[in-house]
Amino acid sequence: MSLPVALISMALAQSHQEARTAKNPLSGRPEAIEAGKGLFREGCAGCHGGNGEGGRGPNLAESESLREKTDDQVFNTIRRGIPGTNMPAFAMPESQIWEVIAFIRALGTPAFLTPASGDAEAGRALFYGEGGCGSCHMIRGRGGFLGPDLTNIAALRTSTQLRDAILQPNARPLSGFEGVTVILKDGTRVEGVAKNNSNYSIQVLDAAGKLHLIDRAQASDVRFRGGSLMSDNYAHTLSPTGIENILAFLSKQVVRPDAQPANRRRERENR
Amino acid sequence: MRFGGWFLLFAVCLNAQVRYSDILKSPSENWLSYHGDYRALRYSPLTQINRQTVANLVPKWTYHVRAARRLEASPIVFDGVMYVTDANEVDAVDARTGRQIWMYRDESAQLQNVNRGVAILGDSVFLATADAYLVALQRSSGAILWHKKFADTSKGYFATLAPLALKDRIIVGVSGGDSGMRGFIAAFSASDGAELWRFYTVPAKGEPGSETWGEFDTQWGGGATWMTGAFDPALNVLYWCTGNPWPDYYGGGRRGANLYTDSVVALDAGTGKLKWYFQFTPHDTHDWDAESIPVLADLTYKGKRRKLLLHPNRNGFFYVFDRETGEFLNATPFVDKLDWAKGIDTQGRPIEVPDMDPTPGGRKVCPSTRGASNWMSPSFDPETKLLYVPTLEQCDRYVGSQHNPEPMKNLMGGGGEGIPNEPGKFYLRALDPLTGEKRWEYPMTGPATMWAGTVSTAGGLVFFGDDDGHLVALDARTGQDLWRYNLGQVLTASPVTFSIARKQYVSIAAGTDVFTFGLFEPAAPISLAKGGRN
Repeated sequence: MSLPVALISMALAQSHQEARTAKNPLSGRPEAIEAGKGLFREGCAGCHGGNGEGGRGPNLAESESLREKTDDQVFNTIRRGIPGTNMPAFAMPESQIWEVIAFIRALGTPAFLTPASGDAEAGRALFYGEGGCGSCHMIRGRGGFLGPDLTNIAALRTSTQLRDAILQPNARPLSGFEGVTVILKDGTRVEGVAKNNSNYSIQVLDAAGKLHLIDRAQASDVRFRGGSLMSDNYAHTLSPTGIENILAFLSKQVVRPDAQPANRRRERENR
Repeated sequence: MRFGGWFLLFAVCLNAQVRYSDILKSPSENWLSYHGDYRALRYSPLTQINRQTVANLVPKWTYHVRAARRLEASPIVFDGVMYVTDANEVDAVDARTGRQIWMYRDESAQLQNVNRGVAILGDSVFLATADAYLVALQRSSGAILWHKKFADTSKGYFATLAPLALKDRIIVGVSGGDSGMRGFIAAFSASDGAELWRFYTVPAKGEPGSETWGEFDTQWGGGATWMTGAFDPALNVLYWCTGNPWPDYYGGGRRGANLYTDSVVALDAGTGKLKWYFQFTPHDTHDWDAESIPVLADLTYKGKRRKLLLHPNRNGFFYVFDRETGEFLNATPFVDKLDWAKGIDTQGRPIEVPDMDPTPGGRKVCPSTRGASNWMSPSFDPETKLLYVPTLEQCDRYVGSQHNPEPMKNLMGGGGEGIPNEPGKFYLRALDPLTGEKRWEYPMTGPATMWAGTVSTAGGLVFFGDDDGHLVALDARTGQDLWRYNLGQVLTASPVTFSIARKQYVSIAAGTDVFTFGLFEPAAPISLAKGGRN
């Protein structure tokens, strides 16, 4: 448990058991969200899905009724369960319930509405410099072509999803971004990402941003790289601070910061 | 970095850019603007599909736009890639195969509506979202380059049009004239979206023209600019048509001609300054937007070569102007069902029949509120010297209120409704562009619900969508029916034609899908490539 969480837990422990604050004291704290994610995976994901997408239990990520509930109401639901349903009571320490709630709240909130702890300017420098992100990802026209455009990513992803995408890029690969090498019958070699692919044609975007529209009959060999082109080693090659800084930078990438969240439609496929 | 080391850091070279000089040459292999060309002739020099070969025209592919209900775009084609739009969405498609390359959807857009397509310039395509943001997208990847609000939805605006790219700038107009707003046309820098100029089609209080509004609050006067205009590169003048005054069907609160509604305005493309204007329907009470396309043809008129502007108007008259000077040359009816005016005088003013305003009980007036023609694209063939105009013969019963409605409540102060047992009927009419005289016509079957336009070609053909869901090819000289294909949809867009690797195609966005046709080639057996993950 990190220090701030420990301090808050102590404070909570000193207060009366039932005298809870209506608002989650850990709301929006990255370390609490991360801890909550672990607890959620252990105790909740079996019914609600690993990312709250629902299963035997309701979808929590997109639930309007959950969004309307106060933190205190959600706390009581977890603590007491919902009698007459499969939702059991959880005898967890209060601090852990708040961590779970921090995670649940973050599930449906786009990253630009979640406070980020890192330094966005340092994140920008890392993104375009040593981190190498800008060689594949574009933001407002600056950057590379092979990865998804990130200009509006903070409206399309939650902070948890952004963190997962950096640390585990292969967990949810996007269609249209798989690395491919095509050898044409005249010997030409085309490398890039397959925007689309069938038995009859393949559409390849190369690193220079040039599209190659290829009939499969012209190709002598088509080799897919398999998995994401992105390194799955950023947990080791970047420092924890660096990751927080990049997340803070990405959390600012939104083209309509004043848009009404209720009108957002989520579309993960980007092809 | 461990990406395999096989790609470059940062892009340094891109595909061939779309230059202004390319758009000047369009349409040829490419189709680079809504009308295909700046002058809105919508005439292609391609000849592979022609009067002889069109009998062998067959479907090549269909592209389904996933969430579409009513596509209205003219697809843009450059370098083998087609860009088609739906509301707040651009789909880039391999134009030989119909396979999607990328799709951009503005998830946060606050409105839904129809959309009529992108503009293309440099390495960007430009989309106007329904809630009036102009978005520049990287052409090969769909990445957002910039995203800029150009009109405020809380003041009644929305957008449906295809922007127009010229030189270094993107021109847009606005929708909203049926519930009150103040129309404008504006130019933005293509590189960063900075506003260059803005021309309001309804003057503010005290400005020239405001005396034509009585006491009306002109911030709700209408004059929308919802169709892409035409452009004369030699004169550097934009010709943009404007919509109805608001409230559409009640004129009692806006006494006067209501400038510059139901007009064509000629604007200096560099500054946005008004060079001349002409109002087709002064003090309109029938929702006769002037949004039919202004066609810029150069022809010999009464012995003198002149730069003309041709315009079949919703009010039932076909107009001819000198576009250099703005001089009105003539106007003639191009529909039989026309009773609101006896004719047009020598100054271009309608000789109005009294008592034709809508009434609370309803009054029959011709043409209908949809007009004798509307935004369905006409085309002009310089070989046949004919203008092909989708034309509707219909009257309506016009009902009007007796007071001003509240702005932004979707109230028009009345409406036009169909008359029982008098259904409308569509025709494709070939008009003499100098006199408006009808040379031939093609009567359509159908429920009079279509919005499809035309494209004509140097192959001697005119393609158009009919009122019964067919894409049809006629002999451009005679109107002889040469080819047809049932698309199975209500047609709400105009066809385009283009060529890739010396193969000509014809495409139309129809309902929920884009259909593309080319000449028949026998299928050859192929062996599936090795190593493919499918």
